[in-house]
Amino acid sequence: MKNIIRNITLVGMTTAALFVTSCTFEEVVDPNGPSVDGVQSEASIGQLNELVVGVESSARNGIAIETTASGTMARELYLFDADPRNTGDLLGKNGIGLDNNSFYSTAQWNGSYRCIKNANLLISAANNTSAITNGERNGYLGFAKTIIAYELIQMAKSYGQARVDVADEENLGPIVGEAEVLAAARNMLNEANNELNSGTFLFSLSAGFDGFDTAGTFSQFNRAVAAMAAVYAGDGPGALSALGGSHFNLNGDLSNGPKHLFAPGGNDALNGLFKLPSTSVEDQNNGDQIIVHDSWINDAEAGDLRVAAKSAPRPDPSASLDDLTGTHETRLYGSSTDFIDFIRNEELVLIYAEASILAGNLGNAENGLNVIRNAAGLANYSGDTSAAGLTNEMLNQRRYSLWCENHRMYDMRRYGRSGTLPIDRAGDQVFNQLPVPLAEEN
Amino acid sequence: MKQTNFNYRVFLFLLLFPCFVFAQNTVTGKVSAENGDPVPFANVIEKGTTNGTTTDFDGTYSIDVSGFPATLEFSSLGYTTVEQQVSASGAVDVTLSEAAQALEEVIITGLGTSIKRANAANAVSSVSAEELVGTTGQTTVDGALYGKVTGVNITASSGAPGGGFALRLRGISSINGNNQPLIIVDGVYVNNVEIPSGLRFASGANRPNEENAANRLADLDPNDIEDIEILKGSSAAAIYGQRGNAGVIIITTKRGSRGKTKINFAQDVGIQVIANPLGLRPWTAQSVEDVFGPDERAKYEAVINARGELYDYEDIIYGETGFITETRLSASGGDEKTKFYVGGGFRDEAGIIKNTGFDRLSLRANIDHKISNTFDVTSTSNYVRSNSSRSFTGNENEGGLSYGYNLAFTRPWNNLFPDAQGNYPFNPTFAGNPVFVRDKAINEDSNNRFIQGLTVNTKILTTDKNRVKLITSAGVDYLSNETYVYVPETHQSHPDPDNPGFIAVGNNNFTQFNAQAIGVWNYNASTDLALTTQAGMTYLYQDFDNVLTTGSGLLAGQTNVDNSAVQAIFQTKQREQDFGMFGQVEANYKDQFIATVGYRLDKSTRNGDPNEYYGFPKASLAVNLANMDFWTVDALNQVKLRAAYGETGNPAQFGSTFTSYVSTTIGGPAGQTLGGLKGDPDVQPETAREFEFGLDLGVLDSRINLEATYYNKQVDDLILTRTLPGSSGFTQERTNLADLKNTGVELAVTADVFQSEDFAWNTRVQWYKNTSEVTRLDVPAFAQPGAGFGTGLGTFFIEEGQPVTQLVGNIDGELQQVGDVEPDFQMAWSNNITLFQDWDLSFLFQMKEGGDNLNLSRFLTDLGQTSEDLETPEGQARLASPTNALRFIEDASYIRLREAALYYNVPSKFVESVFGGNVEGVRMGVSGRNIFTITDYSSYDPETSVNGGAGLSSGIEVTPFPSATQVYFHLNVNF
Repeated sequence: MKNIIRNITLVGMTTAALFVTSCTFEEVVDPNGPSVDGVQSEASIGQLNELVVGVESSARNGIAIETTASGTMARELYLFDADPRNTGDLLGKNGIGLDNNSFYSTAQWNGSYRCIKNANLLISAANNTSAITNGERNGYLGFAKTIIAYELIQMAKSYGQARVDVADEENLGPIVGEAEVLAAARNMLNEANNELNSGTFLFSLSAGFDGFDTAGTFSQFNRAVAAMAAVYAGDGPGALSALGGSHFNLNGDLSNGPKHLFAPGGNDALNGLFKLPSTSVEDQNNGDQIIVHDSWINDAEAGDLRVAAKSAPRPDPSASLDDLTGTHETRLYGSSTDFIDFIRNEELVLIYAEASILAGNLGNAENGLNVIRNAAGLANYSGDTSAAGLTNEMLNQRRYSLWCENHRMYDMRRYGRSGTLPIDRAGDQVFNQLPVPLAEEN
Repeated sequence: MKQTNFNYRVFLFLLLFPCFVFAQNTVTGKVSAENGDPVPFANVIEKGTTNGTTTDFDGTYSIDVSGFPATLEFSSLGYTTVEQQVSASGAVDVTLSEAAQALEEVIITGLGTSIKRANAANAVSSVSAEELVGTTGQTTVDGALYGKVTGVNITASSGAPGGGFALRLRGISSINGNNQPLIIVDGVYVNNVEIPSGLRFASGANRPNEENAANRLADLDPNDIEDIEILKGSSAAAIYGQRGNAGVIIITTKRGSRGKTKINFAQDVGIQVIANPLGLRPWTAQSVEDVFGPDERAKYEAVINARGELYDYEDIIYGETGFITETRLSASGGDEKTKFYVGGGFRDEAGIIKNTGFDRLSLRANIDHKISNTFDVTSTSNYVRSNSSRSFTGNENEGGLSYGYNLAFTRPWNNLFPDAQGNYPFNPTFAGNPVFVRDKAINEDSNNRFIQGLTVNTKILTTDKNRVKLITSAGVDYLSNETYVYVPETHQSHPDPDNPGFIAVGNNNFTQFNAQAIGVWNYNASTDLALTTQAGMTYLYQDFDNVLTTGSGLLAGQTNVDNSAVQAIFQTKQREQDFGMFGQVEANYKDQFIATVGYRLDKSTRNGDPNEYYGFPKASLAVNLANMDFWTVDALNQVKLRAAYGETGNPAQFGSTFTSYVSTTIGGPAGQTLGGLKGDPDVQPETAREFEFGLDLGVLDSRINLEATYYNKQVDDLILTRTLPGSSGFTQERTNLADLKNTGVELAVTADVFQSEDFAWNTRVQWYKNTSEVTRLDVPAFAQPGAGFGTGLGTFFIEEGQPVTQLVGNIDGELQQVGDVEPDFQMAWSNNITLFQDWDLSFLFQMKEGGDNLNLSRFLTDLGQTSEDLETPEGQARLASPTNALRFIEDASYIRLREAALYYNVPSKFVESVFGGNVEGVRMGVSGRNIFTITDYSSYDPETSVNGGAGLSSGIEVTPFPSATQVYFHLNVNF
C-alpha cells in the first residue's frame, strides 16, 4: 500500500519535473512595433532616416487644436464641433476657468514634446552609431535641434512657459518662463546652424521641405526660426541679422517657405484645419466648422483680398451654436491635404517690419508693411508713422496675413493687448495662455 | 513505462482483494441512484461502530458486520443518507435519492475536487438553470445574473441587443488590467473580449472602448447552462492563481442522464420597447424665439402649421418595437456507458432602433462515456454563430453618427426625412442626420465560435480507504470575428472631407488553448477523517490577431472596402502563455471540521520576467457546530463558522513591458515615432490577498438559510497606467504603483415561507456592499487616463486614502471630489410562488442604493437647448451654471423590477387526453424583464458606461443606447 502511494507520488513528481523544466518561456518581444532600445546603439543609416521621418511627421502633432484653441481665445474664430468646450471653456463661459486636464491644454503640449522626444532620440541614436561620419552626424543633429527649438517656441507662445531640459525622461528639468525658453531656443538654433553649416544630409525630407532639404538650405529655415525667436525676445538687431541667412526676400514670393505636408493613409495625417465648405442652406456644414469671428470681417479694410481668400459667407448665417454665430466660415485651406506653413516669406516680411521697429528703423518697417499691404490689394500705409503707430499697423497686418495660424493670441499677449479683445456673451472671459497640463505636476 | 507496471499491480490487487476478506457475517449489495445509475464510492458504515467500506465503480459493496441485527448507514455526496436494518447476511440493495436541499449541494473548491456546500469555507454563490433563465428570456449570461448573486456589481454599458456588460465581483480589483472574472465553461477558459470595430475612425470617438462593442460572453447561450458557481474573492479563487484576481465564474452546461431519452422544445416570443423615453422639450413659439431668435421661430411655426406637431426624433429613432423570438430543441438521455445532451437554440432579437438586432445560433453536444472501470471521457462541444447590428451610440467627435449626440442638437422643427428621390437633407444644426444614419449606415459584427472541452478521468487506484484518479483535460476556444462599419459617401461629415464615405472591415481571430493535469487522492484515514489531496499543472495559451482595414473615398453606393480611394490597414498581435502548478489538501473530520490548505505557483509571459514563479497560498477552515455531538438545538440544523484566506494574481496587460516606436509616414517612406507608452520591463503581477469569514445558519431543516460574510481584500502592486508629464515625450507609463483595499459584507436569507399543496412560497433576500480605498500610491494623485473627459467635466481620480471609484472635477480651479460611482449597498428580493400546484409566479426586485453618475448626455442636450426640462426654472438655472462636474453629477440609485413571470403547467391529465402518451408536459407563461425602474436619475438608465466594460468604466454617461423593457410569451413542451 505505502509503496503504491510512493509510486504515485514518484511518477507524478517526475512527470511534473519533466514538464516544468521543458516549459521555459522565451523572452517576449513586441510583435507590434520596433523597440526604442533597438536604435539607441549602432543604428543603421536606414534606421536613422526612419527616425527623421518620425520627427518631421510628429511636428504636425496638435496643430489643428492649438490653432483653433488659441484662435478662439483670441476671438478670431469659433470652432463649431461636437465638443462643447470649444465654445464654453475657451471663451470662459459663465465664469468657468480653463482646465489643465482637457484636450485643449494637453494636445499641443503632448504633441510637441512627442516630436521633441523623437528628435532627442534621433540625436542620441546619431551620437551612438559608427555608421556615419562626423559631417553626416552634424546633418542629423542640426536638423533635430532646429525642430526642437521650433517646437519650444510654439510652447512659449501657447503656455508662456515650457520645460527645456527634457532629453532624459527620468530627470526632467524645471518649467521655466517664456524669456528663458526663448533664450534656450535661440542658443539651440545657433548650435544647430553651426552643425548644419558643417554637415550634410543623408536623408530626404517630405515634399513640404522642397527647397529646404539640404543642410545648406535647411539652414535658411533655421535662421528664419531664429529671427522669429529674436523678435519674440524683443531683439530687433538679432532678428535682422538672422533674417539675412534665412529665406526672407522683401520682393520675393510671399508663400515661399517650408511646410507641413498632409496625406491620407493610416499612418499619415490630414490637415485638420480644412473644413467641408457649405454650399447652400440645405448642405450647410455647421457640425464641424471654423466660423470666422465677425470682428475679423467687420474690421477689415475695404478691398483686402485676404478676407475673400480666407473666408466665405455662410449660406445661413443665423445657424448658431451655444449662442454664437458668425457670417463667414473658413476657406483658408482648399483640401485636407493642403500644406500648412512652418514659416513663409510673408511672416518673415512681417518679422522684418517688427524687427525694424524694435531696432528703430521705422522707414524699413513701413516698407515691409507696404509689401504686405500691396500684396493684399491695399494701398500704401498712410497712417501714423511713429513706432507706436507702426506697431499697431504691424499687428493689424499680422491679424489678416496670419489669420487662423496660431499667432493672434500670442501677438495680443506679448503686446499686452488681450484686454482689448471683444466679449461676445455676457459672462464670457478672455484668456491669453493655456494652463500647463496637470500631468506636469506628476 | 512505469505506469503500465503500476496499473497491472493495481489490477492484481483488486483481483485478489476480495479473497482476503471472506467471512461469515457478510452483507453485499448494490447502491443505486433513483435513475438507476450505480452510486460509486458511497460510504457504507455499520452504525455505532467505526467499521465501514465504500462502494466500487458499479455501486456494489461488501461489508463484514460484527453481528445481526445491524444497522447500515449509506451516504454519498449529493444524496440523502439512508439507514437500513439488516437481520441476516446476504444481499441488501439500496436506492439513494438525490439531495434536494441546498445544504447537500456540491460546489467546486479546487480544480479537480468539489465539496458539499454545507462544508464549504467560502461564500460561493451558485446560480441554477432555473434561477438563471427560469423566469424570463435572457440574451446573455452576464445580463441574466442581476439580483442573483451577492457581491456582484453588474453594469450594462449599452442597451443594444447583444448586451455589453461590466461584471465586478467584490469591487474593483484592477484599474488598468483585467477586471472581468475568469470564465471557465466545462473546463475551457473562454474569451470575454470586447472587440472594437474601428468605427471611431468615422465617429471621432477617442478610444476603441468608446465604440460600445459587446463583450463576447454574449456568444454563450444562457439556456445551455446547468449551473454557475461564482468564486468571488481571492480566498475562494486562490487555486486559480494569477488569473483569479477578479474572481472566477465556473459554468457547467447541461448533461444527459441515464434513462429514457427526453426531448424538450421551447418557444419564446417577445417584444422590446424603450424603457424610459425622456420626451421632448415642450417648446413654445416664444421660447424658440428667446433661445434661437426670430428666424428659428419662423421655422418652428412653419412646421407646427404644416404638421400640427413637432418631429419627435427621440420617438422616431428609439421608438421601434423590437420583435424577439427564441426557439430551442434539445434531447438528452443515455445508458450505463454513454450519456448525451444535444441541443440547439436560435435567438433573434430586433432592437428598439430600426436596423439594430442580435441573433445567435448555438449548437451543443455534450457526451459522457465510460470506457472502462478505469477510464471515462467527457466531451463538450459548442458551435455558435452570432450576429449583431448595434448601429451608432455613445461618444464621438464630429462624426455625426451617434444618435444621442445627433438628437441633442437636432431641433424638432428640422425636417430630416428624405425627399421623393430618396435624398436625405443635411442636419442644419449638427454634423449628422440621425434618420440617414439609421437608414443607411451600418455597424455590424458576426462571430463564428467553437468551444471544445475534453476531459479524461483515469481511476488509478480504488480501495476502501484510497481512491486515486488522474484528471486530464484540455479546452479550445476559437473565435473568428468580423466587424463591418459602413458610412455612405452621402453622409454629412467625414473624417477625411476630401475622401467622403468610410468602411472598416475587421478580421479578428482569437485562439485560446488550456490544458491541465490533476491527480486527486481521496484517503479515508478513518471513518471520522477523510483527506482529499490534489496536485496538478495548468497551461494557458492565447493568440490574438486583429486586422482592421479601412477605406475612405467610396465609389457611389459601394460597400466593399476595395472600392475606396484611400485604404489603411492596422494590425495588432498578441500572444501569451501562462504556466502554473498547484497542490491542495482538504481534511474533513466527521463533517465537523473541514480544513483546506493549498498553494499555487504561476508564471506568465505577460510579466517582466516570463520565467519567474509567483506563489499564491490559501487556507480555510469551516466548523459545523450543529454536527458536533454536544449540539442539541434541533431547530438549528446548521451552524457553520467559516474563515478563509487566499491569494491570487493578475499579470500585467499584454504589452506592458514594451517601450516601442510605431510606424508613421509623411507623404512617403515609413518612419518611426514614439508610441507614447513607457513600459516597465520589470513589471510584476498585481496580487490580491483576501480574508473572508462568515456564518451560515440552517433553521428548521434548512427551510430558512442565512449566509453572512465579511471580506477584506487587499490588492498589492496595482499596475497603473498613469499620465506622464507630456514633456517627457511619453504620455503614459504602466507600472506597479499602488495598493487598494476592498472590504464588504454580503448577507443572504432564503426561506421556504409556505410549503402547502396549494400554496408554496420561496423567498430570498440579498444585501451586500463594498467599500474601496487606495491605500498606497507611489506617485502624486492623478486623473485616470481613458476613464472620463478630464477634470473639467469630471474624471476618475486615483488618490491615496480615497475610494478608487471616486469622481473628481475641477471646480473653480480646485480639484474636488464630486461623487463616487460605488453603490452604498445593493439589494435583491426574489420570490417564487406556486399556486394550486400548476401556477408558478416569480418576481425579482433589484435595488442599488447610492453610487453617482456623471451625466454628460445632459451637457450635450443643454448645449443644444433640447433637454426636456429647459422650460422649467430648474432647467434654466442649471443652464446658467458653469459646465463643471458638479453640474453633471447625479445620484444613480434605483429600484427595478428586474424579472417577473407567471407560468401555467398544463395538468398532466389534460396533456395526456390531448396528446396521448407522446407528450409528457406542457408549460406556458408570460414574463417580463426590466419591467419598471424607480430612480431620480434623469437619463435613460442609471446603469451606464461610456467606456465599455473594462477597467474603471461605469458611471460616466455620454448618449448611450437606451435600455429596453422586454415582454415574453413562453411555451415549453417535454416529450
